Amino acid sequence: MQTTVSIFKRGTIQKKRHPKVEDAKETIKLVVKNKVAFTGLVITAVYLFLAFMDQVYPAYLGFGPNIITSLLQVGGQPNGKFPTPPTTVGGWHLWFGTGLGHFDIFPAMLASLRIDIGYSLLIVLSGAIIGIVVGSFSGYYGGVWDELVMRITDIFYSIPFIVMAIAFTTILSFTFTQDNIPISGFNLIALALIIIWWPTYARLTRSITLSLKSSRFIEAAIASGSSRVRNVITHIIPGVLSPVFVQISLDLGSIVLVFSTVEFLGLGQIIGINYYTPELGNIIVNGQGGMLLGYWWPIFIPGIFLLIFTVGINIFGDGLRDVLDPKMRR
Amino acid sequence: MELKYYIIRRLLVLIPTIIGLLLLTFILLRAIPVNDLIANYVNQKATPAEKALEKQQAITLLGLGQPLPVQFFTYLTDVANGNLGNMYSAYYNGGVLRGIELFLPVTLEIAIFTVIFSVLISIPLGTFIGSRPNSVSDSVGRVFSLIFYAMPIFWLALMLQYAFGKNLLFLGSYGLPINGQGFPIQQVGFVHNHTGYSYSVPTHMLFIDAVLNLDFPLAVVAFEHLILPVLTLSMTVLAGLLRFIRAGMVDTSNQEYIKTARAKGVPEKLVLKRHIRKNALLPSVTVIGLLVAGLLGGAVVVEDIFQITGLGRLSLAAITGTSGNGANIQFFGVAGTVLFFGLILMLTNLIVDIVYAFLDPRIRY
Repeated sequence: MQTTVSIFKRGTIQKKRHPKVEDAKETIKLVVKNKVAFTGLVITAVYLFLAFMDQVYPAYLGFGPNIITSLLQVGGQPNGKFPTPPTTVGGWHLWFGTGLGHFDIFPAMLASLRIDIGYSLLIVLSGAIIGIVVGSFSGYYGGVWDELVMRITDIFYSIPFIVMAIAFTTILSFTFTQDNIPISGFNLIALALIIIWWPTYARLTRSITLSLKSSRFIEAAIASGSSRVRNVITHIIPGVLSPVFVQISLDLGSIVLVFSTVEFLGLGQIIGINYYTPELGNIIVNGQGGMLLGYWWPIFIPGIFLLIFTVGINIFGDGLRDVLDPKMRR
Repeated sequence: MELKYYIIRRLLVLIPTIIGLLLLTFILLRAIPVNDLIANYVNQKATPAEKALEKQQAITLLGLGQPLPVQFFTYLTDVANGNLGNMYSAYYNGGVLRGIELFLPVTLEIAIFTVIFSVLISIPLGTFIGSRPNSVSDSVGRVFSLIFYAMPIFWLALMLQYAFGKNLLFLGSYGLPINGQGFPIQQVGFVHNHTGYSYSVPTHMLFIDAVLNLDFPLAVVAFEHLILPVLTLSMTVLAGLLRFIRAGMVDTSNQEYIKTARAKGVPEKLVLKRHIRKNALLPSVTVIGLLVAGLLGGAVVVEDIFQITGLGRLSLAAITGTSGNGANIQFFGVAGTVLFFGLILMLTNLIVDIVYAFLDPRIRY
């Protein structure tokens, strides 16, 4: 101890550097340098900010909490008025026109971000947590449990996501009604999607665990008497986190798509989602009736709005993968 | 390991997976209230006495009084005998397996054309942009594939419908179902079956049948109805495929043997064709499984929007049921279609794995 201290002059304070903080700083620097990834980050951040604003300060929309439901209280059922086209006159909420039920599209889209992004964050994070735990333990322990988990993920992989999502959602809704458990429609879809989504993370985590398992630091940990559970928690899981984080950022966009597709396919009626419920898929399916009459904007504009978000989060995820890849660091 | 043993091992692994899939659909069927399940078996138009009798029959048929393992065995026997239960909806009435048989060809036709179209475009295009990384055409290709990869498929379908379906009359993609309805019945190669559906023979795929029966005016009409659905599905499939092929091309062209080939004076065209493209396309075989999954999932959306009488709408109809207010979800229809989609995808993955092992001798595990 004495020798290491004596290298430095007495009295100079050596700034303590935490390796993880340094690493994070380096990552942020690289993401900002990568122009495409940074654009993606900005787009994602704007969308997240809008969703967050609707949660903490809904009045920023100018209509009080939950714009669409408040409109329902005012206007009642769909009143059959024809949509008005996008216009710059009459306030910012009319910029993108009104929908078939005569609600303003722009505030409705902003309000739907909270549900779309909030639920996809919930789904992706829960799926990732379940997947990390299952994948790392099964990969580290190996044997029968590993084989069993892999067969289960095989089964989930062998059914198309959309088909499985609608089947699970409807059947879960019946199960919950039977047991008299009140659950909202969105929670139901979220639950179904979590059940479907964890195998992706379990597989990813397992494959990384298998490569980490044979590395030197695990051998060292075993030699120093660390237990298997402790090895997984303190050594394997931190090593798994960064690829999982990339996968999360890529999946966030896909989940928003699946979420609104499920809504679009008419499940909203079955699980009791209102005509005016702010959700991008719901807004688009509501506009579908007027499309052939020439009212394109209730569909076109929410779709573009959704597309910008998914493209943004995808290029951010791609950029993040490049940045976090150790080969690209040098 | 020899190829023979690899195939045997792969087949053996398939057995527990299929049993697991059956277990999953069985759990789906038993997770719902028993009364709702029995209600699916009962003809709602019958008299109360008949209804009570049918209920009793359903309980014995499904083995509901017995312990769960026995019920599962009953279910397995039923599935092995091709009895997936019945479903009643505005879209289709009758046995689920019969319904799948009836509607599969339509979906298959769309899938076949989608695969042909997207492979025909993605291989040359992927080779082109993959051989010029970081050029302008590469950036355009990447942006294109990224946008279509991130695009909601239902929105794309609606936009195409709005753009072409209305303004260009010859692409009348909505209104007329493909499967026989809306076409003159006296056309060559049409049969009516007992359920009242008409379909064409021998393949039940309208376009192919019309060509086989040399009925070219009908073939033109059938082809026009295929354009928009196929275009919608191929855009999303194409995007994923293009990304994969481009990545493969870039990876392969950084290999040492490509440098060797160039150094020893092989013409650039030959390097591209023989050395890079062949090796880059090999891993693309593995994407076919994902491609089929995307196609089946996308088919549900596309068939719903373009009003195509296919398999995807059968699964949707099972969920919407007879009344549409959620009272009469056809559970056997739901479980049956999930099972069928699962089996298709499992078999696809099996074939893909075997073909890949055949093509690449290094893959043996």
